Amino acid sequence: MSALLEVRGVSVSFGGVRALHDVSLEVFDGEVLSIVGPNGAGKTTLFNVISAVRRPSKGSVRFDGHELVGMPLHRVARLGIARTYQVVRPFHRLSVVDNVAVAALEHERTRAAARRVARTIVASVRLERFADAEASTLTLTQRKRLELARALALRPRLILLDEVMAGLTPTEMDEMAEFVLGLRARGIAAVAGIEHVMRLVMRVSDRVVVLDAGAKIAEGPPAAVMADPRVIDAYLGVPMSAV
Amino acid sequence: MSARLGLAVALFVCVVALLAAAGPFLGGYWLAVVYQTLLAIGLAYGWNVISGYAGYFSFGQITFFGIGAYTTALLTSHTSLDWRLAALAGGALAVAVAAPAGAIMLRLRGPFFSLGMLGLAQTLRVVAASSGITGGGTGLYLSATVTPLAVYEWTLAVAALAFAVTAAIDRSAFGLRLCALREDEQVAGTLGVAVTAAKVRAFLISAAIPGLLGGGYAMYLTLVDPPSAFSTRLELQAIVMTVFGGIGTLWGPLVGGVVMSQISEQLWARFPQAYLMIFGGLLVAFLIIVPRGVVPALASRLGGPRRTRVNGTPAAVAAGGEP
Repeated sequence: MSALLEVRGVSVSFGGVRALHDVSLEVFDGEVLSIVGPNGAGKTTLFNVISAVRRPSKGSVRFDGHELVGMPLHRVARLGIARTYQVVRPFHRLSVVDNVAVAALEHERTRAAARRVARTIVASVRLERFADAEASTLTLTQRKRLELARALALRPRLILLDEVMAGLTPTEMDEMAEFVLGLRARGIAAVAGIEHVMRLVMRVSDRVVVLDAGAKIAEGPPAAVMADPRVIDAYLGVPMSAV
Repeated sequence: MSARLGLAVALFVCVVALLAAAGPFLGGYWLAVVYQTLLAIGLAYGWNVISGYAGYFSFGQITFFGIGAYTTALLTSHTSLDWRLAALAGGALAVAVAAPAGAIMLRLRGPFFSLGMLGLAQTLRVVAASSGITGGGTGLYLSATVTPLAVYEWTLAVAALAFAVTAAIDRSAFGLRLCALREDEQVAGTLGVAVTAAKVRAFLISAAIPGLLGGGYAMYLTLVDPPSAFSTRLELQAIVMTVFGGIGTLWGPLVGGVVMSQISEQLWARFPQAYLMIFGGLLVAFLIIVPRGVVPALASRLGGPRRTRVNGTPAAVAAGGEP
């Protein structure tokens, strides 16, 4: 089975800092891959490379046979990759419906049709009461849902969820986990960046990739990866006696 | 076409027809006043597409007005071409220059784009002032064969076109894409907006309108020289009117244009020495009271839903606003 997304030997440097070093991974159709790692491990940089927001200094990213490195952003969207941002970025002065309609235009020809589609998607993330409000009036949790609605409106084959659990209450985290599992049920692959909520990583992931200091240190089924001593070291540090 | 849209179009056609029919009955003074107002409104609509909808605040759209003015002056004085066709050619040349200029300038963001456009206007102004073909600093004198009424009609037609184009953009998928890239270009891209193509297209529209108006202005003045063709006053007037009325809105340039030119005219008639000072003071006061402009302020006052803060109030939370 060939992978939907193939990341090969990706490295990114900011000046002298190596944000990513020779990272390779695959995502298969319809699976949930979690990218786990402490703050600063390079998760967001990896998301930026996959979504073509950042060009890697080395390596390639192929999606469904297309090279994404250097591709204009809207063409990446057209191929079927949607993303959310860790720091939510709504179009502040547009209504919630219009925020979603921008993405729905990918499949609808007129603004009116896009707005109709957007309304049902807005309702599906339970923002219908705020559909006509300016996005700037939403709370953080609501903005996170708006990000999801916009991503869904693209009807993607792969969704990149950067730091999905950040800033959420435990109840909201459970809701988000349900959302991610719902994607899988609909055949949409997801790459979810998660810093530290291991309970949820175990629950939503088909596979897990662990990043530490910009390098991939483990990969595999969630239970096996979480038991890996290198992963435990990365999170808890090496015991002094072992140094 | 919905009934409401049909009514709006009918109303628009009536207003334009009324203004066109009124032309011959306006005396010299009023013809001049209404012409100047229409010119300013047309320029404001042209400016509003790139600066209001797309969010690329330009200090140099007058560049294209100047290109239109000089093209028309040169064509009418060297050929026997009808001046309207010459003015059309001016608009076409403005678009032809705007295509490469936009592709370069729109790589700049924020204040850099604004200053870049200002630089472009000043560069062309210097070129016009030092080149032989444009008559240098003296400019080109035109024979007064075109009546002010004909220029009035031309300007009315272009201003009406500018309004109609803006109305179409305001309802269109293209307009929504422009608003999205204005808010966040990178996010718009990740949501499928072809950002570069959209903003260049907006820039071309914002060049065509002043390009078409420039020829009329040359005929009206029967003169083109660098300060009139690349007029800083006209540029600032268009910007101030749009910002006052509501930047990035359909009605902003019209409301701002009518109100500002009337205030300016009345102040000038009553306080000829101090009118600019009073005008500036009023403008500052207005912008403090209604920073987004008159039209958005009125819309939200009249119960427009978009600015209403619907969450966070105790009532909304009690009603289950936050599940």
